Amino acid sequence: MNIDYSLLTIEMLTAGLALGLLVLSLVVPGDQRKGFGYLTAAGLAIIFAISFAFNGVNKEIIGGMYLIDDFGNFFKQLALVAGVLVALASIPYVEKLESYRGEYYSLLVFATLGMVVMVGAGDLISLYLGLELMTITFFVLTAFKRGDSKSAEAGIKYVLLGAMSSAILLYGLSMLYGVAKTTVISELVSTIQAGQISPALILGLMFLVGGFGFKISAVPFHMWSPDVYEGAPTPVTSYLAVGSKAAAFAAFVRIFMGGMPQIQEIWIALFAGLSALSMIIGNLIAIPQTNIKRMLAFSGVAQAGYILTGMVAGTNAGIKGLAFYLMIYVFATIGAFTVAIGFSNATGSDEIKDMAGLSQRNPLMAAVMLVCLLSMAGIPPLAGFAGKLFLFSAIVAQGKLWLALVGLIMSMVSVYYYLSVAKSMYMGEAADPSPIEIPGSLKLVLIVSMVVTIFLGIYPAPLTGLAEAAASVFALK
Amino acid sequence: MIEFAMQKAWLIPFLPFLSFVLIGLITKRSEKLSAFISIACILTSFVLAILVAVGIFGAGEEFIEKSFEYSARWFSMPGLEISMGVKLDPVSSMMLFVVTLVASLVQIYSLGYMHGDPGFSRFFAYLSLFAASMLGLVIATNLLQMFVFWELVGLCSYLLIGYYYFKVSAREAAKKAFMTTRIGDFGMLLGILFLQIVFGTLNFTELAEIVPKYADYGITLGTLNLIAILLFIGPVGKSGQFPLHVWLPDAMEGPTPVSALIHAATMVVAGVYLVGRTLFLYKTATTAAEVVAYVGGFTAFFAATIALTQIEMKRILAYSTVSQLGYMIMALGVGSLTASMFQLFTHAFFKALMFLGAGSVLHAMHGKVNVWDFGGLRKKMPYTAWTFVIGGLAIAGIWPFAGFYSKDEILLEAFNTGHTGLFWLAVITAAMTAFYMWRMIFLTFFGEEKAENHPHESPFSMLLPLFVLAFLSVVGGWVALPEHGWGYYIRLGEHEAGHAPAWMIATATTAAVGGIALAAAMYWKKIISYEAVGKAAGPLYTLSFNKYFIDEFYLWINHTIVDGLGRLLYWVDIYVVDGIVNGLGFFTKEAGAVLRHTQTGRLQNYALILFAAVVVLVLYMYFKSPAAAMIVLGGGN
Amino acid sequence: MIGLGHFLVLGALLFCIGLYGALTKRNAVAVLMSIELMLNAVNINLVAFSRYLTPDYIAGQVFAVFTIIVAAAEVAVGLAIVIAIYRDRLSVELDDFDWLKW
Repeated sequence: MNIDYSLLTIEMLTAGLALGLLVLSLVVPGDQRKGFGYLTAAGLAIIFAISFAFNGVNKEIIGGMYLIDDFGNFFKQLALVAGVLVALASIPYVEKLESYRGEYYSLLVFATLGMVVMVGAGDLISLYLGLELMTITFFVLTAFKRGDSKSAEAGIKYVLLGAMSSAILLYGLSMLYGVAKTTVISELVSTIQAGQISPALILGLMFLVGGFGFKISAVPFHMWSPDVYEGAPTPVTSYLAVGSKAAAFAAFVRIFMGGMPQIQEIWIALFAGLSALSMIIGNLIAIPQTNIKRMLAFSGVAQAGYILTGMVAGTNAGIKGLAFYLMIYVFATIGAFTVAIGFSNATGSDEIKDMAGLSQRNPLMAAVMLVCLLSMAGIPPLAGFAGKLFLFSAIVAQGKLWLALVGLIMSMVSVYYYLSVAKSMYMGEAADPSPIEIPGSLKLVLIVSMVVTIFLGIYPAPLTGLAEAAASVFALK
Repeated sequence: MIEFAMQKAWLIPFLPFLSFVLIGLITKRSEKLSAFISIACILTSFVLAILVAVGIFGAGEEFIEKSFEYSARWFSMPGLEISMGVKLDPVSSMMLFVVTLVASLVQIYSLGYMHGDPGFSRFFAYLSLFAASMLGLVIATNLLQMFVFWELVGLCSYLLIGYYYFKVSAREAAKKAFMTTRIGDFGMLLGILFLQIVFGTLNFTELAEIVPKYADYGITLGTLNLIAILLFIGPVGKSGQFPLHVWLPDAMEGPTPVSALIHAATMVVAGVYLVGRTLFLYKTATTAAEVVAYVGGFTAFFAATIALTQIEMKRILAYSTVSQLGYMIMALGVGSLTASMFQLFTHAFFKALMFLGAGSVLHAMHGKVNVWDFGGLRKKMPYTAWTFVIGGLAIAGIWPFAGFYSKDEILLEAFNTGHTGLFWLAVITAAMTAFYMWRMIFLTFFGEEKAENHPHESPFSMLLPLFVLAFLSVVGGWVALPEHGWGYYIRLGEHEAGHAPAWMIATATTAAVGGIALAAAMYWKKIISYEAVGKAAGPLYTLSFNKYFIDEFYLWINHTIVDGLGRLLYWVDIYVVDGIVNGLGFFTKEAGAVLRHTQTGRLQNYALILFAAVVVLVLYMYFKSPAAAMIVLGGGN
Repeated sequence: MIGLGHFLVLGALLFCIGLYGALTKRNAVAVLMSIELMLNAVNINLVAFSRYLTPDYIAGQVFAVFTIIVAAAEVAVGLAIVIAIYRDRLSVELDDFDWLKW
């Protein structure tokens, strides 16, 4: 079998970067590892730049086990750009670690590699491998803060629940393999006939939904995420919130849209239900939250509900909306979490009430938080508005007006808790009015998140072009 | 070079926008640097605009029928494709030239006028933002792009009218302007929506082709007329046409350079420009065109009668602006793009000149505004006075000044298209225009000096724009001479109007000279007692002086109907709506507070729910699917 | 004659036993072991499918090998984290780990 290794440039470079960082962390003395964060960010940024060379390339290698296409490339770019931002946002956190600084970044890059492999997978086996590489790395990262009770608890919750969900997913995959007699996703289209829905297939599919529902934290599989988000180190949380979710969505789409569009009628109603539940429960529980990370976790559950509507539409327009929304979600979420990082770095608190008066203590942080939250709420002219417009118009076009209405109403509910953060930041009195200083790397992340969120809201065309190319990989309506 | 300017014409609005961002984010603290950036950007845009104009007009026939157009996709959804682009044709490149020129001059003027103002940088930032929005509007390729920038210029206007935000009157005026124009915008938005629904596109070029074939799109001429009238409501608000003109005179609360730039030369003509851009619509919808013509003609006359008796310099100029805009709208209504755009072109120069001149006077008089308090200023402020006189001659329509040519063109078009009534209305308006302008000039610059005034000539940065504009007010009209071919370039399906017959020129000139002579007799030489005239006019004088009580009427509507309704709704709001909303809010919050307790913190509970959900899903799908009978077989094949 | 069905039932039973353990055991290490049972159930499924349905196509067996490796890695990380939390709380009882909630 001849393999064109140049097609695997991104994967190999990412793996090389991860291993290189691991080796460097052994070689370089502990006190001289300060540059690792910038090194990681720069490395990932270079790979991100290179990835644009693969736009428009549509090839498969190793007999369809691995795909190089626009859909995969879109999500690889998403993982890489999120990796760059998270690496930069991690710098002040890692500086406070006593040891294992190099390993932290190495693990971060391994997680990125997991996502990259997962979204490029054309086969159930490679998909599973990518997924586990990402997940196991996140287990470690979640529990990375040694001697921190919350981090350890989040770690054990994540590792046990994650392993159980993997088992479910895997069981589903094995049933799927048994029914279809193949592990190549693109062959599922021909081996699973629309007329012959066997109980085994249903069993397999529902287990798959459970496994993926866990990863994207959709209700009722979401319960791990608030606890893990709250306990994990905040930079890890932000990567978990965007990267893990986006990669799982990509794989989800790959299997269901790429492999089983012919039996859409059995899973579309199901996804519509999950989506509505996620929007409702996520937004409702977010209201009484007092911890900013926990609030963002529930908001993330609700966001998963919005994004799921793209799959409910079952059309190219829906996939385009899904891809678009996930990309802008990266910037809004990382922006908001980075404010939390900067804030807890300076004050040691994650509580919303402590953020009172932030607009006076650090106007940039308050502004970024406001822009990111409003974007998540879907207020024009921010990027979130364009994203919701694409998603909801796609499902309305498919006659699912009720779901769009649920989405709109719950978006309004979400404005309530997003704005209560804004109110606290802008109108509240700070108990300690001293200004908050944040390191340059955080400032960079904040400004990038804000500018991109505003820019893509006003002029979404560049990203919609990419998202459209990604969606066109699937031959749907 | 020209090629570059045309390909990169989007830079023309972008540069001022860049300056706005730079000033807002970075150089706010340094006044000099802010002003420098702002002026450098607008001058660069000006140079680009000149290059574009050379490219368009130099190409002869090429761009007359077919505009030079390119766009980038801005937003697309199934069934809706919206782009942002650049449309260059003779009309838009003329506008680019006028807007960048006046904006540059006003910014230079503001260096002197706003000197020492605490918000100096902010002022320049706003001016830049305004220029960017206005230029974006000018190059728009479609109605939606135009609408976006239309709203942006409205926002800038609001910000700049309310620039002295510590003054109650300025805040009130800003609010009034914003709300009045919003009424117009609403009608316009409806018109745009109808166009999109009916024709499926908002692009000017495409619309121009398909609107005449409206019957193919399943609508009647009546519907098309309705759409055209709805669309026209926007310009009625923005260009201060009756009955939405009330905001424009109040807008003079803003700094004078703003009045010159926004409320005389550029923004208020946006409405005229929009009607000009969509004139193909009015060529088809002729009833709507008649409405446009008569609204314009009436506004021109009506505003002139108010201007006769006003006593504040900027208010006289404001009503004069309303009146002149009426002329332009009337010209469009009778179907002449040539005449309307020509009037727009010359008016921009002489009206900006007079506003800046007025600013120079007000600057020297330290806040006095009543023209009766001035007098004999020509001795202490010769440059201001004589440039102002040139402006006065130009607006009155005296040969060879700019206004002469453009006014004749409009009169001729009105007469040729058989609107004899409008023609005579316009002639009378011209006489009144000459009268009230020269009344102001005589009262301000001629007559005796008042001892309590200590006027001084303004600094050079303020005089330079006056000189440039005075020069253009003289020669600006010459572009319409046959050898320059204004009507050759700027037209829309109309024939060259030809030369005005001698009797028409004589009538117009007589009206103008008569108006000036009467003003001279009453206010300079005092041959005729103005008090006696005022008394003789009696109630008419009162009506005019009080602007026909329209503001009071609107205020009354506001107080009785709107407020009454408001009180009623307030009650409903407090006891019904709030009750429901609060109830819902309470319910939502409580639901959240209850639901959060599902999150017990025990991971095995979570796992149980996860598995239970999967099992429920599996069972549900089994019983839903026809294969339910096979459940007994478990996972067997 | 032992056929595919028998193996699938065995797999399903093993999965359920693992699941039962994972949901009821209070000791974190025991839960990890139960999860191992669930993963092994999957391996039985994979190998059986491969043997009976696609004898010429060994994807199922390859999948099983990968699963074994991944499971080992997962357990290694899991045990490490259990040790970490034991140092912190001096307990591996799952009921004690409920500081993060609501």
